[in-house]
Amino acid sequence: MAPALRVACAMALLAAAPLPLAAAHRRAPVMAPSASVAIGEAIYRFGRLPSGQSMKGQREGGVYANGADAACVNCHRPSGLGAAEGRGFIPPITGQFLFHSNSESRQVRDLPFIEGARPNRDPYTNETLARAIRDGVGVDGKPLSVLMPRFALDDASMAALIAYLKSLSTKSVPGVSDTVLQFATIVTPDADPAKRDAMLAVLNDYFAEKNANARFASPRMYSYRKQMFMVTRHWQLHVWELRGPADTWESQLKHFLATEPVFAVISGLGGRNWAPVHHFCEQAGLPCLFPNVQLPVVAEADFHTLYFSKGVLLEAGLIAHQLQDHAAKPAIHRLVQIYRTNDIGGAAARALELSARTAGLTVVNRPLKESAGDLAAAVAETGPADGLVLWLRPEDLAVLNARPAKAAQVWVSGLMGGLENAPLPAAWRSTTRLAYPFDLPEKRRIRVDYPLGWFRIRKIPVTDVQMQADTFLACGLLSETLNHMADAFVRDYLIERIENMLEHRVITGYYPRLALAPGQRFASKGGYIVRFAGDSGIKLTGASDWIVP
Amino acid sequence: MGRCLMLAAGLLALSTPCAFGAGADLAAGPETMHIHDARDRVSVSWVDYKVPAIQLVRADGKAVSLPKELDDGRPVVMNFIYTTCETICPLSSGTFSQFQSRLGAYRKDAHLVSISIDPEQDTPARLREYAKKFHAGPGWSHYTGTVQATSTTLQAFGVFWADKMSHTPVTLMRAAPGKAWMRIDGFVTPDQLLTHYHDMLASR
Repeated sequence: MAPALRVACAMALLAAAPLPLAAAHRRAPVMAPSASVAIGEAIYRFGRLPSGQSMKGQREGGVYANGADAACVNCHRPSGLGAAEGRGFIPPITGQFLFHSNSESRQVRDLPFIEGARPNRDPYTNETLARAIRDGVGVDGKPLSVLMPRFALDDASMAALIAYLKSLSTKSVPGVSDTVLQFATIVTPDADPAKRDAMLAVLNDYFAEKNANARFASPRMYSYRKQMFMVTRHWQLHVWELRGPADTWESQLKHFLATEPVFAVISGLGGRNWAPVHHFCEQAGLPCLFPNVQLPVVAEADFHTLYFSKGVLLEAGLIAHQLQDHAAKPAIHRLVQIYRTNDIGGAAARALELSARTAGLTVVNRPLKESAGDLAAAVAETGPADGLVLWLRPEDLAVLNARPAKAAQVWVSGLMGGLENAPLPAAWRSTTRLAYPFDLPEKRRIRVDYPLGWFRIRKIPVTDVQMQADTFLACGLLSETLNHMADAFVRDYLIERIENMLEHRVITGYYPRLALAPGQRFASKGGYIVRFAGDSGIKLTGASDWIVP
Repeated sequence: MGRCLMLAAGLLALSTPCAFGAGADLAAGPETMHIHDARDRVSVSWVDYKVPAIQLVRADGKAVSLPKELDDGRPVVMNFIYTTCETICPLSSGTFSQFQSRLGAYRKDAHLVSISIDPEQDTPARLREYAKKFHAGPGWSHYTGTVQATSTTLQAFGVFWADKMSHTPVTLMRAAPGKAWMRIDGFVTPDQLLTHYHDMLASR
């Protein structure tokens, strides 16, 4: 850049307003940083220059990207440790990797093993790194990949970015020692106590078996080739049981994390409201892997919480998809939805209402409070031109009037109602359809047999097979991912590796397919609409294949 | 030395136009190569792919027959993307964008086709957003579908990756229905694409 321009930029920088606050759902910088690191973070994560302008990344042939699309984080990831993409690796660019040589002749490596790290590369200096970013030339003088854009950063911005890279992944990681990995699982006070016990039985036994199979923490193994480092650590589980009203949960969680620092949160159990937990994990930068929640927080721009599915919100999408077919036939004009105010049905009903109105139906929501008497009255209101949706638990389904509603079509939430064990009265079963956000029983049998066998051997009572199978699956995913991470214990990196590896997996429990990617937080994206067959079997309705709303 | 062998094998692998099969374990094997070593590895080959008789869903929401979409007489230029991809696809779609605008007077003749390799995530609405981001002009269509339809399509075009994270940069071009496809593996620039395109049409 011309000297005059550089001066102008420097002056603009001095005059620049303070950095605007990041959006509420984006994690604030974890360190208490110098202003430089904060500026560098805005460049790295959002492609935002100190002036407030968008950074421009120029690629060959006139292809360029702006702002958030040009941000370093897109390729080098929040951890700065890069990724595998296609047949290439995007290299790690934390200070540790850039400013140290990765020489094979070292006896003791204090760099964690990252596949994409360039071997035998000389360390960068501030000058050569600035040249790489501006001119696309590596420390060896050779051009960098065509994937790597060129960025016209002024000296102050460059210094800030380099300061940020030096700050990445250098802190010692909470919950990780040479011998022990600490994890937590979170249970909200409104979670079902029986489900809590069922989940904890799976978690405790999984951890116990993991530790029994590991021997004492082995010394670090080094290799001069590409092998992974295998280090065995003891896994320890902390159960964080929340109490009292939801607006106190975040401070309880802060206290838990301060007194029992953990590397990540595994599984967990929610009731009506998971939002305070989700937001805490996001603020704290704490990975939360696949909590058992039927009403998740939908925020695809968030990073730290991974969910198996959107739960009852997915079910609303499945039913909406069916309504689009119904809208073609004149059978249903009005949708009636019944739910309890003290449960998650309301959120699902609101989601479905939006889609139903778009399909041209009128929607009537019938929230119920405590007494069952209201339920019968609400059902009795429906007529032959209505669709009826029951967002109800087994105890409500069981006391429905023996005679089915006069509605043209009844749908029931599989998740809330107990899936194929939903205790609908007999006369309802032939016509009611169930929203079913899992693979069908006969298709998933082989995959689910494995955890069922394991529960049997460990003598774990199976009281909620789907939730317990999901918990077991989450543990397996954590274990596999950590194996591949070797000794690179970085919280963000754990999430990134799961994003990258999940789709490979063949054993997916109750789900036919699991897949994630940057910007995707829900691993299973579809479901079926099914009909009851016999007393407790379910079968697929004629119209429904796997639906992805 | 082991290192040289790895690089050589990697070069070989990248220059062969075979389908990248179950690329599950990225850590092992000589095919993996550092991204900065993969710079100028653009390779061109000709293959007689058969367009599968499959139904996809276009970004406007319409269910369409892929053969009908591709066999309307126009030359086709095709790539494979997913909307949340932040690495390879922005470059590939950015290149398509530049290519389309540089066609100038020839723009209306070329049918640009982008097929999602993440169909469960990439709904028609998301594809429309993605197309807008890359200033897709008329003549550039985006497609999604069921997982089965998509994987059948990818296999038919020799671009089946075990999962979307294993995808590699590939561009396919065909001058007219019935002709062979030009397959370009690697990161092709808009100018290179334009050159290949005109050469292909000239030799039609």
